[in-house]
Amino acid sequence: MLLLARPPKAWHRLFQLQPLALLGTPGGKTQHVRYQLFSTPGPADTGRQGQPQGPGLRTRLLVTALVGAGLGGAWLALRAEKERGRQQQRTEALRQAAVGQGDFSLLDHRGRVRCKADFRGQWVLLYFGFTHCPDICPDELEKLVQVVRQLEAEPGLPPVQPLFITVDPERDTVAAMARYVQDFHPRLLGLTGSAEQIAQVSRSYRVYYSAGPKDEDQDYIVDHSIAIYLLSPDGLFTDYYSRARSAEQITDSVRRHMAAFRSVLR
Amino acid sequence: MAAPTMKERQACWGARDEYWKCLDENTEDASKCKKLRSSFESSCPQQWIKYFDKRRDYLKFKEKFEAGDFQPSKMTAKS
Repeated sequence: MLLLARPPKAWHRLFQLQPLALLGTPGGKTQHVRYQLFSTPGPADTGRQGQPQGPGLRTRLLVTALVGAGLGGAWLALRAEKERGRQQQRTEALRQAAVGQGDFSLLDHRGRVRCKADFRGQWVLLYFGFTHCPDICPDELEKLVQVVRQLEAEPGLPPVQPLFITVDPERDTVAAMARYVQDFHPRLLGLTGSAEQIAQVSRSYRVYYSAGPKDEDQDYIVDHSIAIYLLSPDGLFTDYYSRARSAEQITDSVRRHMAAFRSVLR
Repeated sequence: MAAPTMKERQACWGARDEYWKCLDENTEDASKCKKLRSSFESSCPQQWIKYFDKRRDYLKFKEKFEAGDFQPSKMTAKS
């Protein structure tokens, strides 16, 4: 855009002398280009005749290349800075969403009482579902434990605790949860509780659920929101992953959160 | 009623996939897939069969929609 202000003659020369100059950021090159134009003798330049001509072609090319490399480097640094800023912004927005605040108290699939504070110091991947779920919950849980296995296989990473909270407290008793979770991962904890306890924990994670009509077998499907949640070792909601995210994408994201994590407690 | 185990789930999904494949191959003509339909019905809880039938309708619609073949009915277009 800057170049539009130049007289037509300069335009013409610009193309002739410095096709390279157009490839980079136009604004940043202005200075260099102007120098080029005035140092080359031409009909408009009569006062300069007889003086030594400007730097040779090699020097000019070298200078152009250096300036280009500098600008490219600056652009890359700026982009990385922008990406960091974007991530920080997302983390802040998620924190302000105030998801998963407060405590919960539920029974695990061995019948022990578990509070959110029990998981302090551990990264947690959390999914809400129900054991009579036809396809989505098993798929999502399979994905969740795949992430846990991938992270487990990397030495030096902190452990991740997989959790499954039922949204069907009527049928998902401690025994039903024990039968269900064993198929997925030896460390997967299934959590259940009273209808009120489940309503409270679901509300705090903004999980919607609604049991459908019962058929002759007293069977029913529970419609519910699908998301995998990541909690930091401080017990704070850190990120969430929709159904469209692959195990690899989630693993990458968790790894990034682990690298960036600074405890706000203590 | 206990929830299906992983083995039972996999048997059910397998029977469903066979039945769906048959429907794909016979342009949704269910009368040509009766055997596979009954195997599907005997491998899955009744509630799941209802769910998977609806899910196939949805997936078929989605396929059509994404391919750009979906034409809203005249009634819908008017409103």
